[in-house]
Amino acid sequence: MSELFQKLSDAVVDMDEDLVEELAYRVIEEQEDAFEAIDKGLTKGMDRAGKLFEEQEYFVPELLMCADAMNIGVEILKPHIKVNGLREKHKVVIGVIEGDTHDIGKNLVKLMLETSNFEVIDLGRDVPPQTFIDRAIEEEVEIIMISSLMTTTMDAMADVVTNLREQGMKDRFKVVVGGGPISQGFADKIGADGYSKDAANAVRLCQKIVGEVV
Amino acid sequence: MVKVNFISEGIISSINKGETILEAARKAGVVIEAPCNAMGTCGKCKVKVVNLNESSVVSREARHHLKPEESQAGYTLACQAQVYEDIEVVTENTVSQNKTLKILSEGMRFSYDIISNITKCFDGEKTKVYSGKTLIGEEPGDTSSQAYGLSIDIGTTTLVAALINLLTGEELTSVSALNPQSLQAQDVLTRIKFASSPEGLEMMYNSITDEINRMIENVSKDAKINQRHIYEVVYSGNTAMLHLACNVNPVTLGKYPYTPQIFGGNNITAEMLNVSPFGLIYLPPVISAYVGPDITSGILASQLDKKKGITLFIDIGTNGEMVIAKEGKLSATSTAAGPAFEGMNIAYGMRAGKGALEYFKIEDSGEIITRTIGDVETTGICGSGLLDIVGELVKAQVIGSNGRFITPEKGTYSENIKKQMIIKDGKLCFEVAHQVFLTPQDIRQVQLAKGALRAGVEMLLLCLNVKAEEVALVEIAGSFGFHLREESLLNIGLLPKEFEGKISFIGNTSKTGGEAFLLNTDFRESMRSLVKEIDAIELANQKDFDKVFVRELSF
Repeated sequence: MSELFQKLSDAVVDMDEDLVEELAYRVIEEQEDAFEAIDKGLTKGMDRAGKLFEEQEYFVPELLMCADAMNIGVEILKPHIKVNGLREKHKVVIGVIEGDTHDIGKNLVKLMLETSNFEVIDLGRDVPPQTFIDRAIEEEVEIIMISSLMTTTMDAMADVVTNLREQGMKDRFKVVVGGGPISQGFADKIGADGYSKDAANAVRLCQKIVGEVV
Repeated sequence: MVKVNFISEGIISSINKGETILEAARKAGVVIEAPCNAMGTCGKCKVKVVNLNESSVVSREARHHLKPEESQAGYTLACQAQVYEDIEVVTENTVSQNKTLKILSEGMRFSYDIISNITKCFDGEKTKVYSGKTLIGEEPGDTSSQAYGLSIDIGTTTLVAALINLLTGEELTSVSALNPQSLQAQDVLTRIKFASSPEGLEMMYNSITDEINRMIENVSKDAKINQRHIYEVVYSGNTAMLHLACNVNPVTLGKYPYTPQIFGGNNITAEMLNVSPFGLIYLPPVISAYVGPDITSGILASQLDKKKGITLFIDIGTNGEMVIAKEGKLSATSTAAGPAFEGMNIAYGMRAGKGALEYFKIEDSGEIITRTIGDVETTGICGSGLLDIVGELVKAQVIGSNGRFITPEKGTYSENIKKQMIIKDGKLCFEVAHQVFLTPQDIRQVQLAKGALRAGVEMLLLCLNVKAEEVALVEIAGSFGFHLREESLLNIGLLPKEFEGKISFIGNTSKTGGEAFLLNTDFRESMRSLVKEIDAIELANQKDFDKVFVRELSF
């Protein structure tokens, strides 16, 4: 592996936007593979940042700075990826459940998934349960991700699972839930396929799910 | 059916197999504090099962994890423990601990004329009682010298009731109590959810009404008055508490667009209270679902709309309500700080009761000064202590701006602090007192709480296009705020550094504002017009709120 990729990965972890920019241009100059630079450099760095977040070394602001640094690199490298080098992205829908307008957590999960080669269809907030399903069918996603911050709105998450079951589509999509008042116990109770306690964990969970699905 | 024997209470409860210990307790009237309402997140419902084994009790996987030594000793979470065989249970007596809770009953007052809504007039035979110009009842003989009212602050955690002489304006006595609803559901949202069913609402309504009646009895005895001579009660509290105290289903408060069912600014009958048979309850005007009558009372007590220059009024708590006043024009918002300040989700967190560390300061000499409630051995950390500890450690550069502990090897802080940096469960922690630790996770919780509050402040300033240094006065209301120090608030960045020297702590203005409503009926009309003009800002709908919040997570 190119030494440059390792440096890119380090620069993302160090939140060093200027260095990422400099290294990305060097990748192009030295005619290294742009796709590999993203995959083995930037994405790898983001993955490491996610681990640091899980280990409580990094917090939300650091995670976002890492993502900013990564995105600067991606913007520079993207036009140089050979078309056949593109890997197909896994698709998910994400949204905040009906009645709830708190979307900071949801946005963070979305950002982390995007840095890990997922295509995220963002339904926004205050999303009715059936809309999750309708859009999931329309967009042919693999995972439905639902977030809630309020104890008073979380029960509507169960309706997504119930509707899926009634419409005979429980096996077609995996349902992942998360947010302040949510726990593994709650996820089990409503019959969701997964629960994630934070954004970094959500990425790992989704990777595991699509690994199994494919 | 299986039997759960609550040994400490001497009560046996029969339940279906698979029901939980908490359900058994609730059925039999045994009080186990379960503030998170059986979500398995708070860990407060911990009980000891004498004959715990795998066939008698199955515990569901919960967010809150007991310490290994606790599990070995037979402890389990009552809300998650499903019972399959007869068991014996020892409850933790947390409810009696609450009796040592510190509750503040004093707040800022201002002077006003006494123009009570209630007036009495003896016609030579009987005494007529009026509310405004309306005759509400008659009493035999001359009772015109006996006219009392109550101002009740209905807090999410605590209740404070003050008995007021309506003729003289004098406060005769006051009492405080724990809001009994907090035993079933600690925070506002959990309580809204609990009360969204008719049975839940009835339980919440009855428990608060019973407690208020107990308080009425206590103040009346204390002041040696006849409680039938109490004619008006002011209910001041947050919007959700007002709904619950008025037996109104609060479900719409918990879902976007967060609309109240009642808006206050009126009287209702007090038939469920043990006061005069024609007694009334006055509800101050509601500003919004999350900025309630307690804040309306606060605005009145602080005379916020009359102040020159720019003033910021903040009630710091689980929900931080804030109002900014600029030459009589008011904007209000609220922000979800979460329960960290109540000691929840904090490894060694507890409420401000006996054994709680409430004060922490690192002197210039490096010496650490602490104070613990009740002068006993420190067993935990309460909200004010938590803010002090984190604030002082940030200032001493033990905690970096990113919220991480700086290791003793890299740190430039004093040797005696280095000695208190201890590896516990694989993580570097700060030993606050013997066997009481501040963990890295606790700092994250403080960051989230202060980030939410500070983002609220920043958004209010932004909405009015005001810079922090232009704010002339910052008033911190509420009993929690009263125990905080300006230095700690600035150290952790809950408030901008520009507020230094401008902060004053004005106490329980929900109560004192309620008194003003009770004693001067003119305020009812003027506050009703004022509240209509207040711009209620919903933070989640503000552009860039998330960016500001994330920025403010750092110290």
